[in-house]
Amino acid sequence: MAQTLQTSSAPGDARITGAIPAGAASAGLLDGILDGLWHGLTSMRFAIALTLIAAALSFVGALVMQAPAGVLADANAKAAWIAQVRPKYGAFTDVFDALQVFNIFNSLWFRLVGGLLVASITACTAHRTPAVWRTATKPTVDVGEAFFEHAPQHEAMVVHRSADEALAAVRTVLGKRRFRTLVHNDGTMHLYADRNRWGPFGSLVGHLAFVVILAGAMIGGALGFQNPDFTIAEGSTLTVPSATGLSIRLDAFRDSYDPATGMPLDYASQVVLFEDGTEVARHTIRVNDPLRYDGISFFQSFFGPAVILSATADGGSPLFSGGVPLAWSADDSDRAIGTLDLPGTGKVAWVAGTSGGNDTVVRPGQLLVEIYQADGAGTLVERKTIDQGVATTVGGVTFTFQREEKFTGLAISRDPGAPLIWLGSLLLFGGFVLVLMFPHRRLWGRIAPRPDGGATLLVGSIGRKDTTAGIEFTELVNDLRAVLHAPART
Amino acid sequence: MFKMSEYTFVAAALCLGLASLIYLAYAVSGLRAGMLRTAGGPGGASSTVTFASGPYTSELGRYGTIIGWLAMVTLTVSLIFRTIATGHGPFANMYEFSIAFAWGILVAYYWFERRYSQRILAVVAMPVALGLMLYAVTIPSTIEPLVPALQNNLLLTIHVAVAIVAYGSFTVGFGAALLYLVQPEQGRWGLPKPKILEEIGYRAIVVGFPFLTLTVILGAVWAEVAWGKYWSWDPKETASLLTWLIYATYLHARVVRGWRAKRAAWLLMLGFAATLFTYFGNLYFGGLHSYAGLAQ
Repeated sequence: MAQTLQTSSAPGDARITGAIPAGAASAGLLDGILDGLWHGLTSMRFAIALTLIAAALSFVGALVMQAPAGVLADANAKAAWIAQVRPKYGAFTDVFDALQVFNIFNSLWFRLVGGLLVASITACTAHRTPAVWRTATKPTVDVGEAFFEHAPQHEAMVVHRSADEALAAVRTVLGKRRFRTLVHNDGTMHLYADRNRWGPFGSLVGHLAFVVILAGAMIGGALGFQNPDFTIAEGSTLTVPSATGLSIRLDAFRDSYDPATGMPLDYASQVVLFEDGTEVARHTIRVNDPLRYDGISFFQSFFGPAVILSATADGGSPLFSGGVPLAWSADDSDRAIGTLDLPGTGKVAWVAGTSGGNDTVVRPGQLLVEIYQADGAGTLVERKTIDQGVATTVGGVTFTFQREEKFTGLAISRDPGAPLIWLGSLLLFGGFVLVLMFPHRRLWGRIAPRPDGGATLLVGSIGRKDTTAGIEFTELVNDLRAVLHAPART
Repeated sequence: MFKMSEYTFVAAALCLGLASLIYLAYAVSGLRAGMLRTAGGPGGASSTVTFASGPYTSELGRYGTIIGWLAMVTLTVSLIFRTIATGHGPFANMYEFSIAFAWGILVAYYWFERRYSQRILAVVAMPVALGLMLYAVTIPSTIEPLVPALQNNLLLTIHVAVAIVAYGSFTVGFGAALLYLVQPEQGRWGLPKPKILEEIGYRAIVVGFPFLTLTVILGAVWAEVAWGKYWSWDPKETASLLTWLIYATYLHARVVRGWRAKRAAWLLMLGFAATLFTYFGNLYFGGLHSYAGLAQ
């Protein structure tokens, strides 16, 4: 690879003409394969094809519903979700599922195209860097006379000044246009001038930004964590998962609405954060105002009802006291349900609030309590509806439903890859602005003294022959004529 | 303030309608002259790179520009009034975004008109802007408080303002590509030469592409702050990525032999279709951006 990297090629040519070095047949074959691979990865057509495929996959991903994160990993949840979308996609449902269309951005296809694209970007960038570097730092000053006849933009003029005076005048005109000039004098003066010579590096930077962003995403995926549905009831203190020593207390959750339209105005969770029992932060988390502490962020995500209750064992020892978020909904009713552990009893409790005035089983002010064995079978021990404020024994545990409160749903995350994502974004944007808005402009000139004491000035420019470049060149030539008092060319 | 913004909006819509008609008349007048010329009529062989000219063509073009400018100014005023009335940038719902999109098209178009003097592009750009204005008329313009997710004045303003510039430029690129594709290589009917249209299309993307990049990046920044994740493959995010990929392909295609000219112009058409898909998409497939849709 290092060998081919040094192979010179003209700027803009994405291909490489690396000759296979003579050697053993097997080495030649290997070189041939590597060469072919390199050729493919540095080919612009290949990159274009990949980008269009990525675009097509994105189009499918925007049109077809995508399974929520985590659903496809859980067989039951997946079956339920597939059943839910089956009416929409009909016979295509199973085909889509088999082709990973419901999870297209994590599919084999997308990963393959993305991986190849990053490989292609890396190869192209590595391939182009030497040429871009040479063009900026070691430009060819002496281009030969024929160039000035064949350049897309060229001009010749005879001036009644000495060659040195002409050079000084040309330099002044170019300096005003922020061109730098390089001169090589061998009796004839060869002139090179350019502007924005670092512009093309923007392309390299902008492309490498993808690698940085991808690295950020991979680091975030490998070392970070996402807990999108952390629920906590008002008044409760819970340990923060995946973060050692942190616990969070919800003091209050408030949701407010516009009285005229009923549109939500604000969701606010007043929380206190503790580290090893000491308060370290106090914040009201809102949708656009997360709590950030030591690399961990807490975002307002959802909310719902919670119940405050206590549970005591047969002997009177307390098992639980606090708030239980009713964050799930039952499959067969509109009741919000929640769960709590009953440590030491080998049982778990599920509680369900009323679904409203029409609920004949759980009326407002009541709570349905179900006790299950905490074994694999999950056998129901007892089910009972209990009244608020009345201590009732269900499955050997005495419950007291004290009052209703609210819970807040927070998304908690730590993403060590995020700084790379933002750095990559900055490089991406900065690079594109640099390469697109500050194109490298190059000019060559040739000043030859004439026997009569005057000089001949030739100017030529290459690059895209567009209106902007054309106008710039014409204006430059006009300025040169004005300064040199050269007669206008007929 | 709200009333003033409504009045100026109506004035802008009327001016835009009138300007569209005048530009259309301009195009018809020029095309007739162009056809006469191709048929060997007066005018003869001309190497002009601007639109062909009949007896009233330049006159019509000038009036079109004057009325179009008037539309742009009144629309600007309307957006300013609406900003004052709502207390945030005029980008919070489909009504405001449609007007802002139309405004972006006008600004981008007039920037290119001043630079390249190709008024014929207005025949494409003006109706698109007018269509968005008419679409806005069908949406209730009442001011409603911002839902919590949108309560970030700084990001709301720049994320969408930057998108508007990108979308406006892409519309001009679309116009150039359309005029490019309707004529053969050598040009036809006195329309601007394919070469100049190709250049305008490229310039439009050179301006629009960094702005689209910035839109996506700012969207990621905002998503992280509001939703806790910088990228969730929300349909609108995906659609903007799709648009971005198409224009990225276009920029690369231009330097590859065989991808220049027609294929590149088709990529511009495809890119604009993706832009509209991104813009209207959230109305159909919900997702996290669905609050930007209609409140009903």
